[in-house]
Amino acid sequence: MSQFCARLRALLHRRTKEDHLHDELQFHLDQEAEELQAGGISAEQARQVARRELGNATLVHEETRAVWTWIGLEQLIQDCRYGIRTLAANKTFSLLAILSLALGIGANTAIYSFMDWLLMRSLPVANPESLVVLNWRAPAGSSRDRVVHGMSGTTWKDGQSGGTIAGIFPYPAFDLMRTHATTVFSSVFAYYPTRRVNFMANGQAEMASGEFVSGGYFSGLAVVPSAGRLLGPADDQAGAPAVAVLSFAYSQKRFGHAAKAPGQSIAINDVPFTVAGVAPPGFFGVDPAAAPDFYLPLHSGLLLKNDFDKALLEQNYYWIEMMARLRPGVSLGQAQAALGPLFHRWVDSTVANERERAKLPELQLREGAAGLDTLRRQYSKPLYVLLAMVALILVISCINIANLLLARATARRREIAVRLSIGAGRLRVIRQLLTESVLLSSLGGALGVVLAIWGIRALTVLLANGREDFTMSPGLNWHVLGVAAALAILTGILFGLAPAIASTRVDVVGALKETRAGQAGRRSRRFSSSQMLVATQIGMSLVMLLAAGLFVRTLANLQSVELGFNRESVLLFRMNAKQAGHRDPAMQTFYADLQNRFRAIPGVQGATLTNSPLLGEGTMSGPLLPVGVKELPGASPHILTAGSDFFATMKVPVLFGRGLGQRDQFSSPVAAVVSEAYVRKYFGGQNPIGQQISMTRQAPLLGDLTAQIVGIAGDVRYGTLKGEFRAIVYLPFDQPWPTGDVTYALRTSGDPLRYAGTVREIVRQADPRVPVTDIKTQAAQIDQIMNQEILFARLCSAFAMLAVLIACVGLYGTMAYFVERRAGEIGIRMALGARRGDVIWMVLRHAVALGMAGLALGLPAAFVASRLVESFLYGIEPTDRVTVLVSVGMLLAALLLAGYVPARRASQIDPMTAVRGE
Amino acid sequence: MPTPSIAGVDLLRGTLDLLILRTLLAGPTHGHAIAKHIQRTSEDLLKVETGSLYPALHRLEAKGWVAAAWEISDKGKRARVYKLTPRGRKQLVAEQSKWETFSRAMRLVTNPVGQEGQ
Repeated sequence: MSQFCARLRALLHRRTKEDHLHDELQFHLDQEAEELQAGGISAEQARQVARRELGNATLVHEETRAVWTWIGLEQLIQDCRYGIRTLAANKTFSLLAILSLALGIGANTAIYSFMDWLLMRSLPVANPESLVVLNWRAPAGSSRDRVVHGMSGTTWKDGQSGGTIAGIFPYPAFDLMRTHATTVFSSVFAYYPTRRVNFMANGQAEMASGEFVSGGYFSGLAVVPSAGRLLGPADDQAGAPAVAVLSFAYSQKRFGHAAKAPGQSIAINDVPFTVAGVAPPGFFGVDPAAAPDFYLPLHSGLLLKNDFDKALLEQNYYWIEMMARLRPGVSLGQAQAALGPLFHRWVDSTVANERERAKLPELQLREGAAGLDTLRRQYSKPLYVLLAMVALILVISCINIANLLLARATARRREIAVRLSIGAGRLRVIRQLLTESVLLSSLGGALGVVLAIWGIRALTVLLANGREDFTMSPGLNWHVLGVAAALAILTGILFGLAPAIASTRVDVVGALKETRAGQAGRRSRRFSSSQMLVATQIGMSLVMLLAAGLFVRTLANLQSVELGFNRESVLLFRMNAKQAGHRDPAMQTFYADLQNRFRAIPGVQGATLTNSPLLGEGTMSGPLLPVGVKELPGASPHILTAGSDFFATMKVPVLFGRGLGQRDQFSSPVAAVVSEAYVRKYFGGQNPIGQQISMTRQAPLLGDLTAQIVGIAGDVRYGTLKGEFRAIVYLPFDQPWPTGDVTYALRTSGDPLRYAGTVREIVRQADPRVPVTDIKTQAAQIDQIMNQEILFARLCSAFAMLAVLIACVGLYGTMAYFVERRAGEIGIRMALGARRGDVIWMVLRHAVALGMAGLALGLPAAFVASRLVESFLYGIEPTDRVTVLVSVGMLLAALLLAGYVPARRASQIDPMTAVRGE
Repeated sequence: MPTPSIAGVDLLRGTLDLLILRTLLAGPTHGHAIAKHIQRTSEDLLKVETGSLYPALHRLEAKGWVAAAWEISDKGKRARVYKLTPRGRKQLVAEQSKWETFSRAMRLVTNPVGQEGQ
């Protein structure tokens, strides 16, 4: 270390040390001369002898200097200086290279920063590494044979075994963990989303969403309040005063300042609460995909939700999510081993029959440092695809630069031969050339980071696509910058090494004697490596073109999906009057009045309402079947309750019978309209009008129900754009509806968003406590559903264009070089009577050959790659013939164009000049 | 040049280091005097090249085995005087024993006892 410092000092104080050494050697000389003089030699002679004895003074200096400091660092600085001069001498080349690298590195950095955000981040709480998430995993099989009789929450497929994984548990399972897992967990806490609620503060109503949390939630996560206090076990009890904790951002939004929030009275779904405190800034709960506005004690669900008391006791209703903190010194594996059997015994005691016992869910503990992995499941695969794309771009631009450097290396043969001949070591020259290329790539990397900042912003906007609840917000951090720097250096070495080695493999004497004409003999060898590189580029471009083609076709397929209704000029918005305190049956009148007032807006041609939007949300389903028909395998019919004028407003054709009107009351028998798909599925095409359908099972929303079919409507996309049309039953809206959620649809003339202000004003006049949310056009809503496809189609097309462009530049460079090298030959051919066309063809043939080689490389790779993205495709095979042909055609056309320019230049060579040049 | 150059550079360097350190054991002195001392005590068998002496001195200084300071010589000139440090002293002991082992080994090989008997 001290040596390191000494050397560093030496580097900084070089001048003084240099002087000192000079003085020291001078003293030596004087001393020597004096001694010689004492021996009887003249002063002049003595000095000369002394100097001779000393030998090469410069060498002594040099060798002593090497002791002081790093010769390597000094040479590096020297190399950098020289490199900058070389780069400055070739401005066009340098700029192009830096720019293409900046694009490549920038794109990679931007996408990597999303990966980093997604994969590397920990929850902003103390000791996140000791947190665990509780999941269960059940073997594949019908959900009917499962101990889970009802649930609220998400399950997902286990990729490998096809089983089911979920993080939702019955409340008694939480009690079990809380009381019996104390040996391995220092705390266990639970949470459950409130979904959207009406949040009233300072007389203003707004929709917000929060989290019900158990009493140990904040202490378990080890979070400290930024104002007031957080929730504790005393708050989470039946009958405790209703208190809430706000997120930092939400407290600022509603009360201006976090410190003002504690003690404020608020109303959630018309139930009064008091703000107890504010969570710290940056705290977002346990799921990076969500940003709860507030936190309520779990037991306050008794005030806000029907049947919550039952949910707390029910052993087969799965809904609550859990996390825990490991005791110090306990590993995840130990906890798993201790709790697996405990949970197994408990869940075994809740089965209803032996079939359920055969497929019991097993407890699975997962690391919880990063929180829940909702976002990771959603985005990691698309991001990997994008990352692969931009990595390919970077490789293509590296190849391009390698190729250009290779061409330049040939031009620098003389320079390098001179260096080698005056005694520079080969490694030393390679190092010099590598320094140049790394310098180039570092500049590209620096510019790339700037582009990445912009790219991250653009990508955030693209990914969010207008969604308000989008929480991903990556930025540059040390990981990301480190990756960018590593990429820059790696690419520099990657594209610099081969040309550097090639250019030092020089026959010095030959190279020094060489003239331009004399080089022709060695053309073939250099050309072949350059050809290989161009062919590889072309192949990679084909991979990207094909992928882009597939994504564009997928998007086109989705956009041309037959919706069954007219998406243009429709305004959608939602509200929930029940959460603002309205109750049946007055609520029905409130909604119907609003519908009439919307219909009366000038320019509005029709207005209707449904219990949920057609697309963008889940659907309600239940076994509402013809009497005597057993439920068919697969999904139950989907149910939508629709107000009057639904079919007219959405422009859904009513094929037989009638639609639902204002006179349809929700009394037995209820009038129902069914879709064509329903008729096909349950009536086998027979006329169902006048037939009765009924549902006996107790569904979460609708109880026993009998309906009479009054009409058949055309097929409509409900819940999803993909797949077969679903069997739908439309029921009248006018009924005691439990959730109170409605979506209005207005058919307008002109831009639907123009009516947003009027709509808000009408609702405000009717009841200011009811906020209007999700105002958007039907077309925009559908776009949001296709967000990923739109993103892929746009980005991949842009990436593919870029790749083709870079490949064309590569081909152009190679062909231009080819023409330059063979100018003499071409001149002679022309002098001997070759026509321009022949010359053009001669050059183009070469370009086409390269293109074909590229295709031969690219097609198999493209087929492999397209299989990997198969799950992102819709309505198209990964090896779709038309897409393959179009991609190949486009690529060849671009290549021909790139080859034609040098070919034309070749045909304009003046034979006299060219031949004289030889 | 009669510098001992039996083996590779390392040995050579080590030997020169040993010679310098051993010379400085007698007391601090400047480069020229070190060279002269080595030459004199070896009865002119060893002559230290200036070209290797100064890099060696600076190397020893960088390693912390000798310390250097500018002093006014007896003739009133500024001279850079080198002095053995405690670490240098330790190093000297180590180098010396290494050298002795080496020269013993050389002696044993070049004058084997068995051959003397024949």
